[in-house]
Amino acid sequence: MAMTGIERIGNILQRKPVDRIGLYEHFWGDTCRKWTDEGHLREGESLEDHFGFDLSECGAFNMVADLDFTPEVVEETEETQLIRDGNGALLRRHKLHDATPEHVDFTVRERTVWEEFAKPRLVADRRRINFEAYRAARDAARAHERFFFWAGVNVFELMSYLCGHEYMLMGMAVDPDWIKDMVSTYSRLNVDLMEILFAEEGAPEGVWFYDDLGFKQRPFISPDMYREIIQPGHKRTFDYAKSRGLPVVLHSCGFVAPLIPGMLEAGIDGLQVIEVKAGMDLLQLHKDFGDRLSFIGGTDVRVLYSNDRDRIEAELCGKIPVVKEGYGYVLHTDHSVPDQVEYASYRYFVDRGLELGQY
Amino acid sequence: MSELLEQIATCIERGKVNAASPYPPDMRGQEGADELVKKAIEQGVPAGDILSQAMIVGMGRIGKKFSNNEVFVPDVLMAAKAMQAGMNHLRPFFDSGEAVHKGTFIIGTVQGDLHDIGKNLVAMVMEGGGFKVIDLGVDVSAEKFAQAVKDNPGASVGLSALLTTTMVNMEKTVKLLKEQAPDTKVVVGGAPLTQEFANKIGADAYSPDPQGALDYLTAAVS
Repeated sequence: MAMTGIERIGNILQRKPVDRIGLYEHFWGDTCRKWTDEGHLREGESLEDHFGFDLSECGAFNMVADLDFTPEVVEETEETQLIRDGNGALLRRHKLHDATPEHVDFTVRERTVWEEFAKPRLVADRRRINFEAYRAARDAARAHERFFFWAGVNVFELMSYLCGHEYMLMGMAVDPDWIKDMVSTYSRLNVDLMEILFAEEGAPEGVWFYDDLGFKQRPFISPDMYREIIQPGHKRTFDYAKSRGLPVVLHSCGFVAPLIPGMLEAGIDGLQVIEVKAGMDLLQLHKDFGDRLSFIGGTDVRVLYSNDRDRIEAELCGKIPVVKEGYGYVLHTDHSVPDQVEYASYRYFVDRGLELGQY
Repeated sequence: MSELLEQIATCIERGKVNAASPYPPDMRGQEGADELVKKAIEQGVPAGDILSQAMIVGMGRIGKKFSNNEVFVPDVLMAAKAMQAGMNHLRPFFDSGEAVHKGTFIIGTVQGDLHDIGKNLVAMVMEGGGFKVIDLGVDVSAEKFAQAVKDNPGASVGLSALLTTTMVNMEKTVKLLKEQAPDTKVVVGGAPLTQEFANKIGADAYSPDPQGALDYLTAAVS
């Protein structure tokens, strides 16, 4: 008898026997719209239901500094909006498609403004929690027996939203104690909010953090700097999850292989997304860490948008039989599926991937 | 004289901006690029020598270390900040022609793509490598790149893309630039890019890191 998503992902994150590898995916919003317009998905049908994913996640926290600030549009063109948000950050967002916003300017550039503007506001407040969204997502997951993750953003990325990568990274060099204070504040806030949410609504099956620490072919920071500045924040949030018996998955874009030993020390059970185009090598990572770490991702999305079935077949056959060994793998591309990927290509990727991933 | 130039190169390599900066900790209290470049000018060292024998040397060292994964992004940002502190003193000499750039480098993130940190790092290293940098920002149309080349004849161009969804706009930009000014050197980079893709779209070079772009264009313009 087939395992449920809850059973399967629970075992995969402990590298215990399962019936097949897991299945999950992220998509750019344009992809779902296109496939729906083409008639492959019913109007309003979720990709999770359509493809039968084994897990789902729900982000339910608002971590912006000033909760009372209403984001204001400072400038607007046909394609973009320049918005000032409650972090005091000026971000340019694309209106026509999904993309990470451009970091234009930041109010918090150094310690004094952090201490006066942001830090006093970054405290637990029920308004930061979307209880209803969490409840609805958890109930939907339970109805389909999917493993349900609470999802949130961890310290590196939260700091980048507040002061941008450049000020944050220079701050790590010039005033590391300021950055450590931000790490401590944000990690405590995450834990405080999880405590409130889980006490009131019940715990999820697992905890999933987003924290993009990688660049092309290198992490933003050295392993030593990770251990000194970021790891304490990771550890505090992961320790909280572990105290509730919840496994932890960490998402990071970019090349983060040198940081994995430090991430394992902090307590991760699974790593997602294993970005091939940034230099991450799923097969090597499985060889080096597969006994201690489960992997979600690492199949090259560029192969999918070639829409070449032979290349997709080669990508799957080259990886799945190897990484399924040890029971710690969930099929997922190395980022998000863009709308250049034809529905038939993704369908083949799922069907063939799971066929190869049977035990 | 050469000792002072070496001190400047070291300050830039290590990211020592000025005497007040606490970074790097082992150079706390020492003069930085700001004070030392000013001192070199006051001692009559030609601006061109300060640029080519000290500042470009220091940026080159950090760029190579970055390529070799010996240092990380914070180190490059601090080096660029030290470079900027020194360049502030040299600016009048560029205006008078006493110091000259290796060439002009126009950079931007292609249309549809708003990512900027990779592009900014390349711009910093190119400026530190002696190029005049014109940063067109993010979400730049092919036509805007073409106009910038028209306004700056002989300039080289760097195109950045982080999203797989915007790579197609890179191809369009390269095509337009090559139609308008076939001799324009175009270097491309960004997370989803490969040498194979660069070849396919007709770019002159692909570089996975800023130093590769600088090395290629330095050789191309010399």
